[in-house]
Amino acid sequence: MIDLAKKIEAPATIDITAYAGATEAIRAEAAKLLTEGAVAAVIGYIPGRRNGTAIPAIVTSPEKAQELIFSPACVNNLALYLTRAKKEVKGKGRLAVVAKGCDMRALAGLMGESQLKREDVVIIGVACAGVYGSGADRDAPLAEKNIARKCRECRVHAPEGADVVAGSLPPLPEFSPVEAEELARLEAMTPAARWAFWKEHFSRCIRCMACRSLCPFCYCEQCICDRNRPQAVEATPRPAGNMAWHIVRAMHLAGRCAGCAECERACPMDIPLNLLNRKMARELKELYGHEAGLEPKEKGPLNEYREDDDQSFIK
Amino acid sequence: MSRIGVFVCHCGENISRTVDVERVAQAAARLPGVAYATDYKYMCSDPGQSLLKKAIAEHNLDGVVVAACSPRMHEKTFRKAAEATGLNPFVCEMANIREHCSWVHEDREEATAKAIDIVKLMAARVRRNRRLAAITVPVTKRALVIGGGIAGIQAALDIADAGHEVVLVEREPSIGGHMAQLSETFPTLDCSQCIMTPKMVDVANHPKITLHTYSEIEEVGGYIGNFQVTVRKKARSVDMAKCTGCGVCMAKCPQKKIPNAFDKDMGTRPAIYVPFPQAVPNTPVIDRENCTYFKSGKCGVCAKVCGPCAVDYTQQDELVTEQIGAIVVATGFDLYSIEPKPADSPIQGYGEFGYGTIPDVIDGMTFERLASASGPTGGKILRPSDGKEPKEVVFIQCVGSRAREKGISYCSKICCMYTAKHTMLYKHKVHDGQAYVFFMDARTPGKNYDEFWRRAIEEEEAVYIRGMVSRLYQKGDKVVVMGSDISVGIQVEIEADLVVLATAVQARKGADTLAQKLGISYDKYNFYSEAHAKLKPVECATAGIYLAGACQGPKDIPDTVSQASAAAAKVMTLFAKDQLEREPIVARVNERFCAACFACKKVCPYGAVEEKEIRDRQGNLIRVVASVNPGVCGGCGTCQATCPSKSVELDGYTDEQVMAMIEAL
Amino acid sequence: MHAAHKNHDFEPKIAAFVCTWCTYAGADLAGTSRMQYPPNVRVLKFPCTGRIDPVFILRAFQKGADGVLVSGCHPGDCHYMAGNFHARRRFAAFRQLLDFVGVDLNRLQFSWVSAAEGGKWVEVVTGLTERVRSMGPMREFKELELEEQWSGKVDTPELQEAYEAIS
Repeated sequence: MIDLAKKIEAPATIDITAYAGATEAIRAEAAKLLTEGAVAAVIGYIPGRRNGTAIPAIVTSPEKAQELIFSPACVNNLALYLTRAKKEVKGKGRLAVVAKGCDMRALAGLMGESQLKREDVVIIGVACAGVYGSGADRDAPLAEKNIARKCRECRVHAPEGADVVAGSLPPLPEFSPVEAEELARLEAMTPAARWAFWKEHFSRCIRCMACRSLCPFCYCEQCICDRNRPQAVEATPRPAGNMAWHIVRAMHLAGRCAGCAECERACPMDIPLNLLNRKMARELKELYGHEAGLEPKEKGPLNEYREDDDQSFIK
Repeated sequence: MSRIGVFVCHCGENISRTVDVERVAQAAARLPGVAYATDYKYMCSDPGQSLLKKAIAEHNLDGVVVAACSPRMHEKTFRKAAEATGLNPFVCEMANIREHCSWVHEDREEATAKAIDIVKLMAARVRRNRRLAAITVPVTKRALVIGGGIAGIQAALDIADAGHEVVLVEREPSIGGHMAQLSETFPTLDCSQCIMTPKMVDVANHPKITLHTYSEIEEVGGYIGNFQVTVRKKARSVDMAKCTGCGVCMAKCPQKKIPNAFDKDMGTRPAIYVPFPQAVPNTPVIDRENCTYFKSGKCGVCAKVCGPCAVDYTQQDELVTEQIGAIVVATGFDLYSIEPKPADSPIQGYGEFGYGTIPDVIDGMTFERLASASGPTGGKILRPSDGKEPKEVVFIQCVGSRAREKGISYCSKICCMYTAKHTMLYKHKVHDGQAYVFFMDARTPGKNYDEFWRRAIEEEEAVYIRGMVSRLYQKGDKVVVMGSDISVGIQVEIEADLVVLATAVQARKGADTLAQKLGISYDKYNFYSEAHAKLKPVECATAGIYLAGACQGPKDIPDTVSQASAAAAKVMTLFAKDQLEREPIVARVNERFCAACFACKKVCPYGAVEEKEIRDRQGNLIRVVASVNPGVCGGCGTCQATCPSKSVELDGYTDEQVMAMIEAL
Repeated sequence: MHAAHKNHDFEPKIAAFVCTWCTYAGADLAGTSRMQYPPNVRVLKFPCTGRIDPVFILRAFQKGADGVLVSGCHPGDCHYMAGNFHARRRFAAFRQLLDFVGVDLNRLQFSWVSAAEGGKWVEVVTGLTERVRSMGPMREFKELELEEQWSGKVDTPELQEAYEAIS
């Protein structure tokens, strides 16, 4: 009964004006930090050239800070710019970063992996009701059909552990959890059917490595998949190498991926990569009670053990 | 390696009976990188090894595969032979075509095909083998012994007698440990102090031993052969250099009502005190918590009466750093406390036995102090409540031990024997007294142990009742013990004058904290873990750290002394060489590619991974990377499997070698 | 006991990744005890199961293994104290991933075989060999190896001609 009541109350679309409040708060905070000299730069979003788009920007002056925005087009996970993959950004000095709830989880993960020190970064959290899905209609209000898949099941709308939180949450509609449903559908398949599913998807992979370039956790100085002595993963976009790459990618992110789904958003071939991430995240939660990114943890689930871990699969 | 020699052994007929060795050699000759292949009747024999050496020289071979038995059998043999020709021993590998092939298959065709495959795998591997150099680590020939009980004393004396310097650290103001508290020891009933105190004095007088009492380990850094240990010397408030040990301060101290922990709180001591008269060093300490001067600023009597002006109220804790090559951990045990336990302890108390509420329920160590000639009663067995001589004494064994429901499942090992001893000591002192013992089983393995126990029953008339006690309660001046005798199936009720509980041996409180400082592992009871239960019983898995005594698990004195001497022998073995040499199967970090996530550090069972700062010439920090200490690395390779970018590699098992084998599948 | 298998038309290739202290020694014991088992297994020795990288399993399947065995010391027996504990978690996760991409987990076995368990080694290897034999070859990865981009779909005569010219 209560659920029903909620559903009736829930709006069909997200009130876009809430984002304007966040924009104001981000601008104010960024300007303040830059004026005080508390940070050398603020990593945030500015409007893209096309209407309704946003791009990441590194802002170094209070004047420029007035260009910062927050809108449903702010899809990028800016934690990426705090990794060693973006050395030129880190070299600027102390930084502030605009982070949605999902981005916060990546930041926590990076802290746990010694990539980032909490005291070295000012986190401007932003209350986020959701962002656009890739290829979505950006003129229409944010609703079921154009919101990103990950946002439909978001549990971290309000970022926790940020230094300040910009904006406030509007009433949220109820979305259908398409990703969870897809995961369940796949799990119900036979192994052969799942193989066919992934084979079809991975065969389309062109190995552009966008998934890797956007992943905050792919900060290795040299990716194992780029090594040729020995070559563990074939580098050319043939199906065998593609399969190996995506398996290795998912395994390397297991227990670390915080679910920002940037890999999937960036994929030009629409491979549902976040399904793999979610699958592994769920397995590690079920096996070891681990959830990535809720707080900086010294050890990930695959870096520690308990003597009484499940071993029912070992004969 | 591009010029590999393959040598296929017949092993008499052990291999050639089921494997066509000639065909294996022919197939091997065609493998990539193989320059020479042959077969021979007995490769491990002298002529076989000569053949190998000759072929290496003649054919200019740079890698060797010996297809024969298990490498666990002869790898060393052939590596040595290869080394004799000037080859690096680590380019020689064995293909196991005996244990893994000829002995487990009957079909000649199949076995031959498999043998060829096995050789192919190993040849592919050897092509990628690297020449590895033995690793040497300098050794500081100075040992640290932590704990000054009988284990630590024995280890320290043995090492020092071998001519090496020893630093002995003891937490209490005096060395001696639990053994100094005991009255007489089983199975010979010699007086503990008579055999213990001479050893204590030996330690104090030994020119090679530096003694830090009233001290604790603050910090441990480094690795085998090269530890840096910081010791906190707690403020004694008495200058050890000036004090003559005359004892006037103790005699004059107006505060004399402090329960004496050494006597299990039965006697009292002053605020400036030595724990017991034979203490080593015989220098008092001021118990600042109970000293009137430290509490109120008034008094100062001890300083006034001290002739050599040794009392120093301003003394501070002092930190001393020692360079150490090997560490013996001998921190001993605690006795299970049967009082209600603090909430955070997984181990339950024995409130039902009345300890702490019924004054005449005591533990075994209290009984030792009652029976000790230097104890609070001068060796007379007098019960705590009214000082009367007890005529009926009930001893209860396995209090805490072997009690899974209470949180301890192990046997404390010493209680059967000391309870038997207690019944004897009691009988010797109270001739008309009667001892009863409730026990589950008597465990008396050890030289003359069972005889000793039998004597307690047969000659000293102790009554042993097989069964556990269900309840204890005070009735008048008696303690009623209710239990069962399961051998005859009846309930037993004894009105005792005194009850003695044989409480379990437990790891020292804080044992886990010390283990974390040392980087050694411990079990769920906080006893320290040996590297191998059978074959490395005194070594910790962390190289250069050894265990002695009850800190590793419950032990009696003979076992403790044996283990202490064994640990000392291990230390001497280590100190016998100036350089420590070890097999170079260790992990190495490729600093260029290390992303410093330190996953390797998190999984390393040895604590071998350190964070290393890379600086430029001006000393500016460029970046931090992982670094493996080859002296500490155990060579398991868990780091490499964990490293996402494989920036750490285990020599001898590199990804290149493994992948080459997989390619050859 | 294994004479019958000669008649099978398919003999699987089994790659066994084992630790040197327990399972390799257990396999040695099976040899010294002259136990018999199918010859399909190829043993790759590691210091510890902790060293075994999931990539190796993947690579083994790609390079033609029809079944893979990973075996090490029983919990608590690890020569390196904790290598097998780390391996246990790693493979618990990895097998779920393989399952999710559609690899039949019947082809992948994990076991603890101690140095004293020659009999268990024989049992494990025989069991896995027979199971994989009944499943037939591991086609999935092999087929992928043979395929070109776009699942090898050659849909125009020109492309067809070009491909034929290459091969």
